Amino acid sequence: MKSAITKLILALVAMSIVAGAAVAQDATEIMKKSHMAYYYAADDGVADVTMTIIDKKGKERLREFTMIRLDEVDGGSQKYYTYFKKPSDVSRLTFMVHKNPDGNDARWIYVPSVDLIKPISADDKNSSFVGSDFSYEDVSGRHWTLDNHTLKGDSTIDGKAAYVIESIPKEAYKAFARKVSFIDKETFMPLREEYFNKKDKLVKIFTADKIDVIDGITTVTLRSMQNVKKNRKTTVDFSRITYNRGITADMFSERYLKNPPRKYIK
Amino acid sequence: MKTLKYFVALLVTAALAVPVVADVTVDGFLQGLYGGRLDKANPTATEMTASETRMQLRAEHFGDNGEFFGRLDFVYDGADSVKYDWELREGYFKFRVGDNLDFKIGRQILTWGTGDLVFINDVFAKDYRSFFVGRDDQYLKAPQSALRIEYYNPVGALSLVYTPRFEANRLPTGRKLSYYNPMADSGRGEIVGEDYFFDPTLPEAKFKNGELAARFNRYVAGFNTALYFYHGFYKNPQGAVMVGGMPMPVYPRLNVYGVSIRGSLTGGIVWMEGGYFDSRDDRDGDDPMMPNSSVSGLLGFERQVATNLTANIQWKADYMLDHNIYEMQQQAVGAYVREELRHLLTSRITKLLNSELLTLSGFMFYSPSDEDLYARLSASYKYTDEVTLTLGGNFFDGNNESTDFGQFQLNDNIYAKMTYGF
Repeated sequence: MKSAITKLILALVAMSIVAGAAVAQDATEIMKKSHMAYYYAADDGVADVTMTIIDKKGKERLREFTMIRLDEVDGGSQKYYTYFKKPSDVSRLTFMVHKNPDGNDARWIYVPSVDLIKPISADDKNSSFVGSDFSYEDVSGRHWTLDNHTLKGDSTIDGKAAYVIESIPKEAYKAFARKVSFIDKETFMPLREEYFNKKDKLVKIFTADKIDVIDGITTVTLRSMQNVKKNRKTTVDFSRITYNRGITADMFSERYLKNPPRKYIK
Repeated sequence: MKTLKYFVALLVTAALAVPVVADVTVDGFLQGLYGGRLDKANPTATEMTASETRMQLRAEHFGDNGEFFGRLDFVYDGADSVKYDWELREGYFKFRVGDNLDFKIGRQILTWGTGDLVFINDVFAKDYRSFFVGRDDQYLKAPQSALRIEYYNPVGALSLVYTPRFEANRLPTGRKLSYYNPMADSGRGEIVGEDYFFDPTLPEAKFKNGELAARFNRYVAGFNTALYFYHGFYKNPQGAVMVGGMPMPVYPRLNVYGVSIRGSLTGGIVWMEGGYFDSRDDRDGDDPMMPNSSVSGLLGFERQVATNLTANIQWKADYMLDHNIYEMQQQAVGAYVREELRHLLTSRITKLLNSELLTLSGFMFYSPSDEDLYARLSASYKYTDEVTLTLGGNFFDGNNESTDFGQFQLNDNIYAKMTYGF
């Protein structure tokens, strides 16, 4: 009798350990799926982007550009090409990133008015992307393996069932100490992300404001980042989105930095 | 008055022509730039280092086979003797032939090499009249009418730039900025205003006097490496020939052979460049009126030192060949003797504030061997997407009137600039 109880307890303990592991596995798996669906949709993509930066007085600033992305390794290295259209002082300027999740990214800028190609030292992935509330990392994604993820429960965002996942950086990280993501159970799109600092104060909120299906691929076409601390907000509106255009790696070179590929950029 | 009519006619033509052409994008900016010198002793003709209203129009059209781009500047300059001026800064046609060849034909801005405002293998025209008075950075580069051919293959990229008509650097004339003239003060040399200025004679417009610049570059282990060649003339009138018993400045013949490498290192960008300047009019270094050949080296490093704070440092060294002969020649006429090995240190610091709306920038040139310096400071604020306000200053100092920056020591100036982009 005694041994039966012991066995039962042991069995329960073992089950709970296994269950716990499964839950942890699930959280990481969900974050990986979400990352792949959100940052690595299709093999390549082209979109026109309008970024609106709204300061605390409600003053708006616009950035218009075309963005081209190529995935070289799913979940791994990517290449980005950006052609700026507005404002006038940066029009025709091009910008290129070779994203390397294992190390530092390589970035180049081309300033056509002086015919100058300049590599940019880029060890800070948290610096703002063109003065917006999105950092470089927010644009190209923080690799899911850099954080420990825990499934915290379920929630509903705009009528969509979502997993609530807490992510804590494995190594101390200045951009956030804790992140809570609400991931759509059906499409794995991040519907909302809350970033907390060391003092566990909410500093940034990401929201997916409009989700469409384009060429069969679920895409967040309107997104925003609210900077709670600075009382600022940036919205990003994607249009003319196309996927799988057959973009090749040679397009992300100095040749194309100087000569924008007009096939994709109008 | 004739110029004014011409100016207005051009303006009207440009304004009318634009909307009728389909698919032409037009944008540009309006800008006011006003600056004044700080030193009353400056012998310049005007106290205004800048007093100009500028309109730049950019027009672009692209199709399946190529693209046109034009950049046209109209300027009203209150400090110049010619009040109205215009310049086609760029006007080119660009197209591709096959998969590997890119052509760019017409008036264009050309840049290569690794230095930050310091040049070795970039022997393309510079405009120091603009650089020293607060015009935008784009004006440091003067356009050249050229043919550029770029050939890309798996080994690397080969660029050839042929400029049929030699394009010189634009140097201070003495009107807004004074400079050192070695012939002034009865040949003793001094800092002068515009009294002594005349445009030096350009090399004759012959095919053999065209400029040829070539570069071959390829990436090796993540580093961009390049070889350079230039065949043409010194871009500054560094030589002289005797005309009727008087020395007249000329652009001596020049070849440059160089190399460069640039890439990421320890969280920053590092670059190295070297060049051999073959002074074709004075290969033995014994002509006192022509520059000696020289060797230049450059080493630079840039990194982001904190969020929104980027800094770089550069060290450039110029070694003059046959310096002993030069030294004797200079001493014989009691002129300043440059050191055999000249050092130049530079540093740029850029700080972005207020969500990148405010940019503070400082650039310092300092030569311990020439004992001179030049500091460029500016603060720029993007009031809206369209309107940018800039305040800045240019400061020079030197222990000798004839060194590169020492000659501009009376030109310290501050300026205000407002730009409206459309």
